[in-house]
Amino acid sequence: MKVTIKSWMGVASWRWIANDENCGICRMSFESTCPECALPGDNCPLVWGVCTHCFHMHCIVKWLNLQTMNKQCPMCRQAWKFNFH
Amino acid sequence: MEIVWSDFSESCPILKECLDSSDLAKETEDTLEYIYEVLWIEIGSFVRSKLAPTFWSCFKHNQTLAKFEKDGGSAEALQQQYKLFTNFVNAVKSLDAYYQFVRTSLEKLDGICQRADHGKSLAKLNELLRSALLSQLPTHFNNVVYSFYSVSFRVFFNLHQSTSMGQDNEDLDESGMPCKGCNQELEKCQCQSLLQTINEVNQKLVDLELLDRLAGQSMTFLVQQRIKEHIKNTCHGIFDRSHLKNLLTWLEDVVICWLMQVFHSKVSADPDAMHTDDGSKSTDVIQSLKVKLTFYVYENYALSVIDQFFSIIIDFPDSIPAIEDLKICMEKINLRRQIINTLKSSLEARILHPGVNTMDILTGYVAAIKAIRYLDSSGVILETVTAPIKEYLRKRSDTVRCVVTSLTETESGPTDLSEELAKGDAVKDGTKGNVNDELSNWENWQPDPFGLDNTVQTRTVKTSRSADIISMVVDIYGSKELFMSEYRNLLADRLLTQLEFNPEKEIRNLELLKLRFGESLLHNCEVMLKDIADSKRINSHIHSDTKYVENKQFDISSLIISAQFWPSFNKESVELPEEIANEFQKYTKSYEEYKGNRTLNWRTVTGKVAISIELGDRVLDMTVAPTQAVIIYHFQNKNEWSLDDLSTLVKIPPSVLRRRMAFWQSHGIIIESQPGIYKLIEDELPKSQLEKLPINEIITEDEDNESAMASASDQREEELQVFWSYIVGMLTNLDSLPIERIHQMLKLFASNGLGVEFTQDDLKDFLQRKVRDHKLIYSGGVYQLAK
Ligand SMILES: [Zn+2]
Ligand SMILES: [Zn+2]
Ligand SMILES: [Zn+2]
Repeated sequence: MKVTIKSWMGVASWRWIANDENCGICRMSFESTCPECALPGDNCPLVWGVCTHCFHMHCIVKWLNLQTMNKQCPMCRQAWKFNFH
Repeated sequence: MEIVWSDFSESCPILKECLDSSDLAKETEDTLEYIYEVLWIEIGSFVRSKLAPTFWSCFKHNQTLAKFEKDGGSAEALQQQYKLFTNFVNAVKSLDAYYQFVRTSLEKLDGICQRADHGKSLAKLNELLRSALLSQLPTHFNNVVYSFYSVSFRVFFNLHQSTSMGQDNEDLDESGMPCKGCNQELEKCQCQSLLQTINEVNQKLVDLELLDRLAGQSMTFLVQQRIKEHIKNTCHGIFDRSHLKNLLTWLEDVVICWLMQVFHSKVSADPDAMHTDDGSKSTDVIQSLKVKLTFYVYENYALSVIDQFFSIIIDFPDSIPAIEDLKICMEKINLRRQIINTLKSSLEARILHPGVNTMDILTGYVAAIKAIRYLDSSGVILETVTAPIKEYLRKRSDTVRCVVTSLTETESGPTDLSEELAKGDAVKDGTKGNVNDELSNWENWQPDPFGLDNTVQTRTVKTSRSADIISMVVDIYGSKELFMSEYRNLLADRLLTQLEFNPEKEIRNLELLKLRFGESLLHNCEVMLKDIADSKRINSHIHSDTKYVENKQFDISSLIISAQFWPSFNKESVELPEEIANEFQKYTKSYEEYKGNRTLNWRTVTGKVAISIELGDRVLDMTVAPTQAVIIYHFQNKNEWSLDDLSTLVKIPPSVLRRRMAFWQSHGIIIESQPGIYKLIEDELPKSQLEKLPINEIITEDEDNESAMASASDQREEELQVFWSYIVGMLTNLDSLPIERIHQMLKLFASNGLGVEFTQDDLKDFLQRKVRDHKLIYSGGVYQLAK
C-alpha cells in the first residue's frame, strides 16, 4: 500500500519568539494587544531593546515619552536602545 | 268544562249556591261581607287542593336538570322532551281553564255583591294562585319547563333559520332527516302550529304572572347552554377571523328575539307593542337579560379562546383576529388570571418535556412571545407565562447553541429569529436605550395592568417594556456576555470545520450581531474573522516563496489564528510522522521569514487532508481528518499494529485511537484481526458492498461532528477536579457512598470558600467519567474507589 498526501489544510496559532510571555509594561500577553489596540500581531507589534527585553511597541514608546531625562528599559534600567534585527 | 264545573261545585258548595241564587243582593251589607269572606276561603282551598295538584301532576319526572341536559343528544331523550313538552302545554292549558272559570265566577260574585274594585279581587286571586302553585313546587319541575323551552327554542331557531337562509338550502342538506324544529318528518312539519301553541302558552303564563317565577331559571340555563353550543360550533378552531361581531348579532337576532317572543307572545309582529304599558315591564326584563347574556357571550367566548391559546400561538400571525377578539373581551372582563393559569399549564404540557427538542421549544417560545405581546403590550402576562419556559431552557445544555444557530443560520431558510435579527432595529445597549425609549414615548405610556401580584409587576415591567424578541431570547440565558461567548464557540467550530478562506456568511452574521449587541462584546469574533482573511494572504505569500515551493513534498495551507482571541481548544493531539512533520517545519520556516520574530504552533488534530491510497490495483482518493491520515500513513511500512504500539507512536490514548480506527474499519481497509491487533487488508476482499460506494467522494464526517473546542461540560469537569482529593478522602474513610451524600459533603466544602458551584448532575458526569477511567467503581447505587 502506498499513501500519497496531496494537500493538507491545517490549523496553527502564531506567537512571538520572545523570552517572556507578557509585556512588562502593560502585563498583557504579547500575543494579545497593548491597552490602546484592538488588533494583535501586525497592528500591535513587539520591539526589542539591545538589553534583549521586549515590549509592545506602543507600550515602550509611551513609556519612553514619559521619561524626561534618560530613557531606560523599565525592566533592567539600562539605557534603552531599539534592537532592529 | 263539565269536569271543571263539577270539580268546582264539589269543593265550593256555598259559592255554587250563591252563584245560583239571585237573592243574595237582598241581604244586608254585613251578611254580604261575611258570605264574601267565606267564599274566598272556599276559593282558596279549591286552588290549593285541586288546581295546584292537578297542575303539578303533569310534572312527574325525576332526573336532575344537568343530567337531563347532558343526555339531550340521543333520539330517545329527544322523544322524551317532546312528550314533556306536551305535558307542559296540557298543564298550562288546564290550569288556564280552571283559572278562567274561577275568574268568571269571581266576576259574577263581585257583581252580585256590588263590589266596585273588581281589579283588586283579581289581583288577590292571582296572588292566591301563585302562592298555591309555588308552595307545592315538585322537585324536578324544571325538567318539564326546560323541555318546553328547549323545544320552543328549537322551533323558533328552525323557523328563523329557514327564513334567513331560504328553503332550498335546507332541503338539500336535510333530506330524510326529521325536521329540526318539531322532530316530525319534513313534509308533515308542525313547526308553525307548535309556534302557535307555544305563543299561547307563554301568553297564558304572562297573564297569570307566572312566566318569570316558573320558567326564569330554566330559560336562563337553556339560553346559556345554547350560547356555549353556538360558540363551540361556530368558533372552535377558527382563529383567522373575528367572531365577536357575529356572536353578538346572533345573540340579538336569535336569542334576544326569542326571549322577546316568549315575553310578548301576542305582539311579536308589532314592534311598537313593546312600548305599550304592558310591554314596558317585560322590555325592562329583557334589557337586563340582554346585558347579562352579552357578558355571558364575552366570557364564554374568551374562555374558549384562552383554552385554545396554544394553537393560536402556533398559528400566529394568522391568528391575530382571535387575539383581537380576546383583547376586546379583556376590556370587559378581568381575565388575566385565567389567561395566565391556562397558558402556563398548556405550555408546560405541550413543550416543556424531555421529548421535545430544544429547537422546537425555542420556536414555541418565540411564537409565544409574539402572540402574547400582541395580546398584552405591558409584558406582564408574557413575563409570568414564559418564566417556566426560560427556566427550562436554561437547564438544557444546548440552548445557547440553538439560539445562536437559529439567529444566524440562513441555509435552511430564515428562522423566526434570524428574521428578527435581519430587521436590524437594534435595541441599543442595555438600560440607556430603554430609558430613552421610554422618555421619548411618554405620550403612549400606559399604567401597568391591574390584577396581578405587585411583586411580579415591579420585577418584570422595567425589563420587558421595550425589550425586543432577540433580547428576550438572549435573556433566557441571563446575560449577553454568556450568550456572546457561546456564539464565539460556535463561530470557532464553524470556521475550523469549514476551513475555507471566504467565510462570507459568517462575516455577514457578525455584522448583524454587532448591530444588535454592540461591537465590544463581539471584538473577539472580529479578530477571529480577521485571522481568516490574514491567513489567506499569508498562505498566498508562502505559496509564492520559491525556496519553500521547490522543497515541499505536498501542499500545505493553514488557518493561522490569534489564539488569545479564540476559545480554548480541547486537549486532543496527534504526533505526526517525521516526513510529514518536516513539511510543516518548512512551512513554519517560510512563515518565520515572512513575519519576522513570529512562529507557529501547529494544532495537528484539526484540519483536513486529501490523500490518495494505492491498494492492490485500486486507487482511493479521499479527504480525511489529520488523525486518520496519520493512522493510515503508518500502515505503509508495517501492515499490522497493536493498539498499544500505535497509541505510543502517535500519542493518542488507546480508547480514542480505537474510535479513530473504526473509520478505516468501516471502509474495509483495516480489520481488527484479534482483540487489539489491527491489520491492513492489502488484497481486495471478495466484492464487498463497500467498494460499490463512491468511496473517493466521501468526505469523512466522523470527526467533523466533534467540536475542536473544549465543551462546557469539559470545563465543568475541570472545575470539579479540585474536589477529587476530597472525594478520594471521603471514600477511603467511608468505603462507599451514594451520590447524594457525596454532593452534600462537597457542598459543605464548597461553602467553605472553594467557591465552585455545581449541581448533582454536574457531579454525576464527573463521577461517571472517573468510573470510565477506572478510578471509581459504581454498583448498587454507590460509588467506591477502584482498588
Ligand atoms: Zn504592553
Ligand atoms: Zn498597541
Ligand atoms: Zn532591559
